[in-house]
Amino acid sequence: MIGVAGLNAQAGTFRLRDITFAVPAGQYGVVIGPAGSGKTTLLETLAGIIAPQSGTVMLDGCDVTNEPPERRRLGIVYQHGYLFPHLTVADNVAYGAADAKYAEQIAERVGALALYGRPVRTLSGGERQLVALARAFAVRPSVLLLDEPFSALDPRLRSRTRRTVRALHRELGVTVLQVTHDFTEAGLLGDVAILLDAGRVLQFGSPDGVFRRPATPYIAEFLGAENVFAGTVRAFAQTAADADVSGDSEQLARGHRSLEFRSGPLTIYTVGDAADGSTHAVIRAEEITLSRELNPTSARNQFAGTIDEIATLGAFTRVTVDVGGVSLVAALTTRSVQELALAPGSRVYASFKAMAVHLC
Amino acid sequence: MEGHAAPRSMAAHRTASVVAALLGSLFLLFLVAPIGRLVVGGGKSGVGELFTDTELRSSLWLTAVTATFAAAVGALGGTPLAYVLARRPFRGKAVAAAILDLPLLIPHPVAGIALLLILGRESVVGRTLLQAGIRVAGSPIGIVCAMVFVSAPLYISAAREAFARVDPRYESVARTLGDPAWRAFRRVTLPLSARGLIAAAVVMWARAVSEFGAIVILTYNPKVVSVLSYDRFTGFGLTEALPVAAVLSILALIPLVALRALRPDRGAGTDV
Repeated sequence: MIGVAGLNAQAGTFRLRDITFAVPAGQYGVVIGPAGSGKTTLLETLAGIIAPQSGTVMLDGCDVTNEPPERRRLGIVYQHGYLFPHLTVADNVAYGAADAKYAEQIAERVGALALYGRPVRTLSGGERQLVALARAFAVRPSVLLLDEPFSALDPRLRSRTRRTVRALHRELGVTVLQVTHDFTEAGLLGDVAILLDAGRVLQFGSPDGVFRRPATPYIAEFLGAENVFAGTVRAFAQTAADADVSGDSEQLARGHRSLEFRSGPLTIYTVGDAADGSTHAVIRAEEITLSRELNPTSARNQFAGTIDEIATLGAFTRVTVDVGGVSLVAALTTRSVQELALAPGSRVYASFKAMAVHLC
Repeated sequence: MEGHAAPRSMAAHRTASVVAALLGSLFLLFLVAPIGRLVVGGGKSGVGELFTDTELRSSLWLTAVTATFAAAVGALGGTPLAYVLARRPFRGKAVAAAILDLPLLIPHPVAGIALLLILGRESVVGRTLLQAGIRVAGSPIGIVCAMVFVSAPLYISAAREAFARVDPRYESVARTLGDPAWRAFRRVTLPLSARGLIAAAVVMWARAVSEFGAIVILTYNPKVVSVLSYDRFTGFGLTEALPVAAVLSILALIPLVALRALRPDRGAGTDV
């Protein structure tokens, strides 16, 4: 378990301010933040390398705020590995291990055993990360802190190592806190997502919740939501029967209302408990579908528009649709873009469900 | 215009190179010529005297032993200080660093006088030590004291740099792997900075060997080599001083060569 309350710390000119979050025992926490947001400083403060000015750090149920790093039963893996260059790979892995056999087993699991014969200096960045992971796991930590540990691995090895770390995390019951600037990594790995920006926690919770229901428009944009609109909301006159998604009636039963959100030429229907007034609507690009013809059955929100731009990134394509001067961005599979024969200038209908709209 | 500018700037560049090379050569000559002349003039007889002149031999031995003691004392006392200066932020650090460099700036006879005030027969410390049977002024202990005083700052600043070259995160990792501060220092920081520390000790040793001003005031007798060469020069003239001076110059090559061999290889300790 990792529990941080009211933590303030300073490293050089950089400050962490009033950090509060918790990662329950045996769960996988992911800290997401841009470069310079204080991710590494946060990990070093948890590790006891940087002394906090105030606040408490709880690890495994114990208040360790004043304990030195060696008594915190944790491991840290830096982005650059920091393998001891004067030791062999084997001695690096076994450095803090009580049991050399166990260290070797762990090394085998993460794929570092094959590197045992190599001098540290000749290892690539990715190989160093593997050895550093093995070294940290080998001491049987109860908490593992990972600072962009997969960044130097090639894509194939990265997904394999991610799986191995996730598996070891589950088998050994280690609480993990990983730092990343990669949003997909957070979604893939995390039980808890913590958003860090300029030394402050913006939001924390389940990755899905954080992604779908960002607390502020800033967080939405920070998390890569393309469609964030400022506008006004008011309760919509019609009843729950108008709802188009199965979840709606449940939401409405919980006191949520049908809402109408206006932003320029857009009138978007949604459900929620937002009070009337000005607010922001967030629609993730993945939630928007495109069709050539008006779709009579499905989504509540449908807008006719013209394609402005098509950007293909491997299997996925981002399509920007101009709707009366407002840009809607939809993320489609590249294949469906081809099937629909979409091209800049094409007339299309952009649609999304009322439930896909998040007001904040 | 531009077509003309290029060759002209190249010509200017060439002229500048020639001037720089000329000045550099002259400067090098100024440094090398006296020592070269010394070795050529007295080297042969100096090496010969090594076998016949017992005073020179014992003086060389005394110099080597006292300088080694001084370097050992400097390393023992200076290493923790250098580490703290390299790693820990504290109030008044700049002042502490400046004070440590002070012995490098004051004229060495002045340093000798200052030491005499503290350690001489008339001083409290000196008298107390003398009563305990330990003589400082006029003994090898005085030589070591003078050597430490003038050369320890060199060790401390070089050792501080050696520690600063080792990324503190290596130590942080060792700490999280279960090492208390001292063990992390011994297992990680010390081996990673070892070359730099030894090089620092060699620099200190070399500086101690070449010290004259402070030693001559604290301990004229027994004579270290620098005092002996001065003594021969004032007592017997240039021809008598020449062999001693030449031997000292030749022996100075030893630490120089050692330093080349110890130069920290690129990336040591910063290698991540």
